[in-house]
Amino acid sequence: MPPLESGSRVRALLRNSVMEIVLLALCIFLAFRADGFLSMQNFLNVLRTASFRGMIALGMTMVIIAGEIDLSVGSMVAFSGCLAAWLTGYLAGPACGMSLGSAVTLSIVASVLAALGIGCITGFLRVRFEVPTFITTLAWMSVLRGSASLITKGFPLTPFPEWYNFIGGGYLLGIPFPAIIFIASFAIIQVLMSYTSFGRAVYAVGGNAEAARLSGIKVYQVKVLVMAIVAGLAALSGIMQSAQIMSGSHKTAEGWELEVISAVIIGGTSLMGGVGRVWGTLIGVVFLGVLVNGMTLMSIDEYWQPVVRGALILGAVLINLAPSSRK
Amino acid sequence: MACQLQTENIRKEYPGTVALDNVSVSFDGGKVHALIGKNGAGKSTLVKIFAGAVQPTSGRILVDGQPVVLRSPRDAFAQGIATVYQEMSLVPGLSVAENILLGRLPHKKVLGASVIDWPAVFARARAVLDGMQVSLDVRRQVGDLGMAQQQIVEIAKAMSFNPSVIMFDEPTSALAQHETQTLFGLIRTLAAKGVVIVYITHRLQELPLIADTVTVVRDGRYIGTAAMAQATPQTIVQMMFGEVVQKERPADLKAGTEPVLQVRGLGQKGKFHDVNFTLYRGEVLGIAGMLGSGRTELLRALFGAEAFDAGEIVIGGRSVRTVTPSLMKDLGVAFTPENRKEQALVQILSTRANLCLASLDRISTLGFTTRRRERSVVNRLVARLSVRMPDTEQPVSSLSGGNQQKVVVGKWLNTEPRVILFDEPTRGIDVQAKQQIFQIMWDLSRQGISSLFVSSELEELLEVCHRILIMKKGTLRGEVQPGTLSVDELFVRCMTDE
Repeated sequence: MPPLESGSRVRALLRNSVMEIVLLALCIFLAFRADGFLSMQNFLNVLRTASFRGMIALGMTMVIIAGEIDLSVGSMVAFSGCLAAWLTGYLAGPACGMSLGSAVTLSIVASVLAALGIGCITGFLRVRFEVPTFITTLAWMSVLRGSASLITKGFPLTPFPEWYNFIGGGYLLGIPFPAIIFIASFAIIQVLMSYTSFGRAVYAVGGNAEAARLSGIKVYQVKVLVMAIVAGLAALSGIMQSAQIMSGSHKTAEGWELEVISAVIIGGTSLMGGVGRVWGTLIGVVFLGVLVNGMTLMSIDEYWQPVVRGALILGAVLINLAPSSRK
Repeated sequence: MACQLQTENIRKEYPGTVALDNVSVSFDGGKVHALIGKNGAGKSTLVKIFAGAVQPTSGRILVDGQPVVLRSPRDAFAQGIATVYQEMSLVPGLSVAENILLGRLPHKKVLGASVIDWPAVFARARAVLDGMQVSLDVRRQVGDLGMAQQQIVEIAKAMSFNPSVIMFDEPTSALAQHETQTLFGLIRTLAAKGVVIVYITHRLQELPLIADTVTVVRDGRYIGTAAMAQATPQTIVQMMFGEVVQKERPADLKAGTEPVLQVRGLGQKGKFHDVNFTLYRGEVLGIAGMLGSGRTELLRALFGAEAFDAGEIVIGGRSVRTVTPSLMKDLGVAFTPENRKEQALVQILSTRANLCLASLDRISTLGFTTRRRERSVVNRLVARLSVRMPDTEQPVSSLSGGNQQKVVVGKWLNTEPRVILFDEPTRGIDVQAKQQIFQIMWDLSRQGISSLFVSSELEELLEVCHRILIMKKGTLRGEVQPGTLSVDELFVRCMTDE
């Protein structure tokens, strides 16, 4: 929101960039205190690690701005990775006899489509029967995690060819491939939210669904789409994750849903809906990534890390809330 | 115990207006006193002063001849003044007894710990209900009760304070006919105990059934009190309205002859039925009706906010039976809902975002839009609406009520509508903003855009409209031309049952 006078413009810029400043301060601190923090290799590692969760956080930002929530994204990551692995094994196996290349491609497409379908079902239940997405996705969280175990029978599936690792562990032009996908997703979702009528409608629906409906906005479309988008992004992340570890494992991404939601909230998006920025989520994702990386580099006790992280999340939210509660 | 509630020269000023101007009234115990007046006449301000919710600028309140100062609702309770509001203040998940004694549940000591004395809770609640001669299971959950029974609980809650004054603020607005009868019986019982009953209502036809006296306020002034036995509807209406100089719409406004919107046999179960009318090009058509006449439901159904189950709407050469807001928008219908805050605006978004809300598809190309494009639309709308807005990027909630209403109208202008449905567009906005809203309607009319205008302010309808339809009990009962009748005549036609 650009105000009129230039003096208050600077102040508003500072007020709206609290997390950016905090992140910068954290980086400066780590540059001095954590050995190896400032290396290019470390930077790329942080970026790669953050990308898997970051992609989902971008979709989660839309979901939360629309006034909904998705608790099933962690399970979705595991489910889609396992589904892709199982399908690849099945399609390339004696039953179908496909070439490994086409089997992998088909499996990826099928997993993402399955996720989109699941997201649509959640959205449909929300608009048609008014089932809160909190409940539906809580159910999916359990169902998808369980399904992943059923598919894999409890053991990681490893049908993937060597080159598959590129999707999760490779580099393109020196940049980790997942990071490229993450940045591309960021650009697309940023444009979607700021420069399309759909994005404007997401804000309106989250801010006041009734006013949006009575303005002739198709609220059901918005809700179904955002739920499908986050599920699709979680599936993509799951595929990349399976490529990084070269297997479909039902144990991946446990607890991710809360980490993803944390990143979105740190980024200044309101759980009440209607307020939030995609850019803020990017900052939140990087902040959490840098924090974990810094603690590891400083060899902070593994058991202390979640405690510090939790405290910082709460602190970040308090900082974000401060300007608005001062009114 | 015969009590008395009096005011002496009560005056209440708000910035820019005088809500109450030296009002001296007196209400005796044992009688039901109706307090009536048009919207904004000052009756709710007076009630709020009695309830301790609002402080008078000057003047005194006397209870039983003793001056009292009511700084808060708590003070009012302490003086024995209780209010039953039309919105319920009950907790649906708790029992009747808990609701009646909320915050004052009797406790007892068990093993040194203070715990709720449930037998005493139920006994005390039952005693209150017995005193009102009502039989109601005190253990039932309030959420399971009907509206009328909830109202009884609300009254019982007020009675549990042993008040000497009870004020009822439009208690029948949510009740069915037979429930109203029960409520009246209860009010009579209370009056017989010597309690002062002040009864605020819009419904003139209720007065002979319940009131002993009728007190009228108009424009913040006390007009007079009449014994109900002597008052006729005509004299009461005359007291309410006084001598009005009826303003008229500009002479150049002409309604066309080409039908734009035709409504045939429209009905919605329990809300309205068999509604037929035609709206012509450029016409401003009013709907006069009291609260609960079905006018709001009709407007919402016309826009597709609620489905109707009988009849059809013909617009733009199409007959529509299944409606949604987005379909009606595409057919050229716009709607400004009654409740600005909750139904029309996204309060946390900027004025710009709200002005673009209804026309996102028009502003964008293939789904893409830019700030600059939105700004040019917004600047055009702001100029057209003569809204003074320092910064359209600020949240819309920072605007005054009148300007918010203009934003609501403005967001629709960009959809190039054929018809705009206005539900109470002037509610809670100042005189100047009202005139500006009328100007907008008239400008629209000159451009051939029709308006359907619902308002509780009958003077407004007479001032603004080409024709006025009268709605009563869910259906249209006649049509009048402004200029052929006065506002009190119109009021009587809306109120009375023929």
